[in-house]
Amino acid sequence: MAGLWFVLPALVVYFMFFGLPFLATIGLSFTDWNGLGWPDFTGIANYARLAVDGAMWSALANNLIWVVLGTVVPVVVGLILAVMLWSDARGSVAYRTIFFLPVILSPVVIGVIWGWIYNPLFGLLNTGLREIGLGRWATGWLGESETALYAVLLTAIWSYFGFCIVVLFAGLQKVNPELVEAARIDGASAPQRFRHVIVPQIAPVLTMVIVYTVIGGFNAFDMVWVMTQGGPNNASEVIATYTYEVAFRGNEYGYGATLSMVMSVVALLAAWATMVLRRRAG
Amino acid sequence: MAGNRHRQRRAWATAGRHGLLILFAVISLYPILVTWFTALRPAMQSQQDPFGLPWPPIWENVANAWVKGRFGDYLMNSVIIAIPTVIGVVVLSALAGYGIARFRFPGRALAFGAILLGLTIPFQSVMIPLYYQLLQMGLLGSYWAVILPGIAFGLPFGVFLMAAFFEDLPKELHEAARVDGCSELRIFWSVMLPLAKPAVSTLIVFQFMRTWNEFLMPLLYLQDEAKRPIPLGLMFFQGTYTRDIGLIAAGVTLATVPVIIVYLIFQRQFVRGLTAGAVK
Repeated sequence: MAGLWFVLPALVVYFMFFGLPFLATIGLSFTDWNGLGWPDFTGIANYARLAVDGAMWSALANNLIWVVLGTVVPVVVGLILAVMLWSDARGSVAYRTIFFLPVILSPVVIGVIWGWIYNPLFGLLNTGLREIGLGRWATGWLGESETALYAVLLTAIWSYFGFCIVVLFAGLQKVNPELVEAARIDGASAPQRFRHVIVPQIAPVLTMVIVYTVIGGFNAFDMVWVMTQGGPNNASEVIATYTYEVAFRGNEYGYGATLSMVMSVVALLAAWATMVLRRRAG
Repeated sequence: MAGNRHRQRRAWATAGRHGLLILFAVISLYPILVTWFTALRPAMQSQQDPFGLPWPPIWENVANAWVKGRFGDYLMNSVIIAIPTVIGVVVLSALAGYGIARFRFPGRALAFGAILLGLTIPFQSVMIPLYYQLLQMGLLGSYWAVILPGIAFGLPFGVFLMAAFFEDLPKELHEAARVDGCSELRIFWSVMLPLAKPAVSTLIVFQFMRTWNEFLMPLLYLQDEAKRPIPLGLMFFQGTYTRDIGLIAAGVTLATVPVIIVYLIFQRQFVRGLTAGAVK
């Protein structure tokens, strides 16, 4: 029984500040509550409302764009650069130090930096475009519906592509160079060696990186909130910012709880799907 | 001849490779550097020539951000929140991870499963009831309102990491100490914990970064202006001084420079801490 005494302090804190409010969220998701008085039980009305909540679906669609682009781009860039660092060690430590730098910064700090880069009047991006004669491309990147989501997403990708490089590089340390050399002698081209010899050996690490970017994509909040608050006209709205607005700006705590249950279910599904994929891969 | 051409091709490939690596290094660094430059020159000059170097540097913006922008206070608040949170997570995770890895007791699988569930559930799924819970407990608006939930949210990864570490230690160690007549707590404190130093330092750095950069929790539960940690302070600061880019850049500089210095010193722990979950 001694084990229980070791685990108990953690369990108490965890239950008080995670377990209890999580159970309360499940309960609250079946009610209508404006934060005053007692919540009204409304059965599955909130869940039925999800089906016809266009704003929720368009936010989820934005999450999907975020998940796909926010995974493919940094993973592909990360793989290419990690393999380059791996095959030629010169300066590898310095490069990795620099690539990892944005990873340690807070999303708020990064949001402020890039908000300023995107500034329509004096931002670096527009100033740079004007200087190289592409002034007609200059636009209010965060203020236009067509570009807002992608401008925030690009910022997010900038903030963690270094994470992908460093993790994949760590995975590459376990690749057997003799196998790669043998494939080269057998006449396999560089892309073939990459696809058939290197990638299978780093498959577990690759899956873990993808889990990170996928879950991160569904939970994205900080950067969006700091840069656009989901605007303009909900163009960059994601499920987390929408949930925040419904709950704390609209004072609809019951439906807000339902939306946060959507986030939990999506995150659990994503984790489960990845685990299945991982098991199948090896 | 053929060998020469081969060597030449290799040289080009190497140059191309480093060209690409340097390009991405510049992409990583430039936004940060240019913000520091902006902090060190008059706003007027930044608007006219955003790519220029800040020479000679002026320190007026940084001084203003520190005093008028209260960045000294924000930095202090971040420290006040981070230290107890990190200590709480490390102590509770080490104890629980050890208990789970080294003992068999009823409910063990359930306890571990429940804690691991927290690895996937986002904070949004507790934020609404937690607000009212903290209000009822009289904690809302105090540092505890972000410290205690911060500890709870750090536990899933902490327990996972520590349990995995203690699982790998040889069982004989524990048996030997027990034969010597040490109490369980004594074995943990003087035999196991010293061995766990690498895992503990990884967890300290990971949790510190996480707490230092936390945004939504203080946004909801710490609305008192005097208690804002850096990210929250910076956001409101940006809202107040939108027009003064020199001052905002100075705020960003004060928020980034300390973290980057700490990162450069403890780089290995940082990388190990932030990538521990993925590489395992």
